[in-house]
Amino acid sequence: MFRIVFAFALAVLSGCTTVVIDEYRRSDGELAHGDSVVILGRRHSSEYETEPDLIDCVGNRLNDPERGVKVIPEQQFVDAMYPWFEPRTAPMHLKSLDRLMEIPEVRDRLEAYGVKYIVWIDGSTETTSSAGSIGCSIGTGGAGCFGFGTWDKESDYEASVWDFRDQELSGKMSADAKGTSYMPAIVVPIPLIARVQNNACKGMAAQLQQFLLPGQPVNSKS
Amino acid sequence: MAFPKNGFSAVTKIILIAATLLAGACSHTVQVGGEYPAPVGPQHPLTVGIYLSEGFSNFTYTEDAEDRDEWNIDTGRAQKALFETVLGSMFTETVPLSQYPQNLPGDVELVIVPEVRELQFTMPRETRVNIFEVWIKYDMHAYDQQGNSVADWVITAYGKTPTAFLKSREDALAQAINVALRDAGATLYTGFAQVPGLRAILAQKQRSLSMKEADAPTETAAGQD
Repeated sequence: MFRIVFAFALAVLSGCTTVVIDEYRRSDGELAHGDSVVILGRRHSSEYETEPDLIDCVGNRLNDPERGVKVIPEQQFVDAMYPWFEPRTAPMHLKSLDRLMEIPEVRDRLEAYGVKYIVWIDGSTETTSSAGSIGCSIGTGGAGCFGFGTWDKESDYEASVWDFRDQELSGKMSADAKGTSYMPAIVVPIPLIARVQNNACKGMAAQLQQFLLPGQPVNSKS
Repeated sequence: MAFPKNGFSAVTKIILIAATLLAGACSHTVQVGGEYPAPVGPQHPLTVGIYLSEGFSNFTYTEDAEDRDEWNIDTGRAQKALFETVLGSMFTETVPLSQYPQNLPGDVELVIVPEVRELQFTMPRETRVNIFEVWIKYDMHAYDQQGNSVADWVITAYGKTPTAFLKSREDALAQAINVALRDAGATLYTGFAQVPGLRAILAQKQRSLSMKEADAPTETAAGQD
């Protein structure tokens, strides 16, 4: 009973989010035993930065060694391949990856990791507009806040899946999420937060899972 | 109001404490620390001395502009660790030098001396972009065994990090500096052989190694005769 009430309260207290997923697939995923997947964020733009927590979120949702998806954590991979996957040096195209493979030490290390797919995620979540105001005051009689605030957030991410062994683009998918959060304050502020980035992460992870494990049901981690 | 003869009055103490707290509220200290990975790739066949001066190893950037709070950013320890790791992996042999140009070991072919030229940073409040940005410029100097300048080049490093919920400005800036330092290491490693003076030294060394390798079987064959 408590769980139902808690879930209902959560649903009521969170803002609304819509997520749109698009996909272009050139081939289905083929993961053999021992293969691994790397999920990396693009960090070359000067105007935004693909958030490391989004990359962690997608990686954690996707990582399922029992079903054959082994995800190498982003930082571990970038450290192991230093300095070839830094924002300035990371390969932007498959041709650049090809050139990188000409360095024997780099090729050996990538092969030792059993990398089959490199997934590049590019994009960010931004607050697009906000309105309203909340005022708080404190006095001898007590403290309290009054007012109303609202803000919109938009997530726009695109994932490119590179097949490292076949040196080809296996597919592209995008996740666009929008949501509005509200914060009414009557003595106490009550945040009704739309989890825009988290929903974009869930959508993208589910889509990547369908790509990597075709024909298998999507495992939805909480 | 009568002041006590010895020491400060209670009011003066409160004022002093409040003033100290207010002054402290506008001053920020960032201690950048970190471990940096060794580069993956081929090593240059040189024995190189690395001289990281006291000023470099204990570098603290202080900014007290009128339109900004006071910032003290200590990057010395982190950049020392970075240069030691990256330069230490770039060459077949490296020798850390505690002083230069005195007591230079005889087998050192090249000495590398980095210096910080400039450090700049911006906050999201200033740029209205939701990221912290850092630029660091290093002057790099290379000398031969006799102390003659072989090459001078500049490394420009850039790092940024998005603002994060519940993260202080100090932590965000330290993270951006770490990204910039990694960028400096990447540029140092990937750009070293492109510096004209150094490219010539590397080519000369490769030639002499190739000639040695070519001569080696002849010497062996001559020894057998």
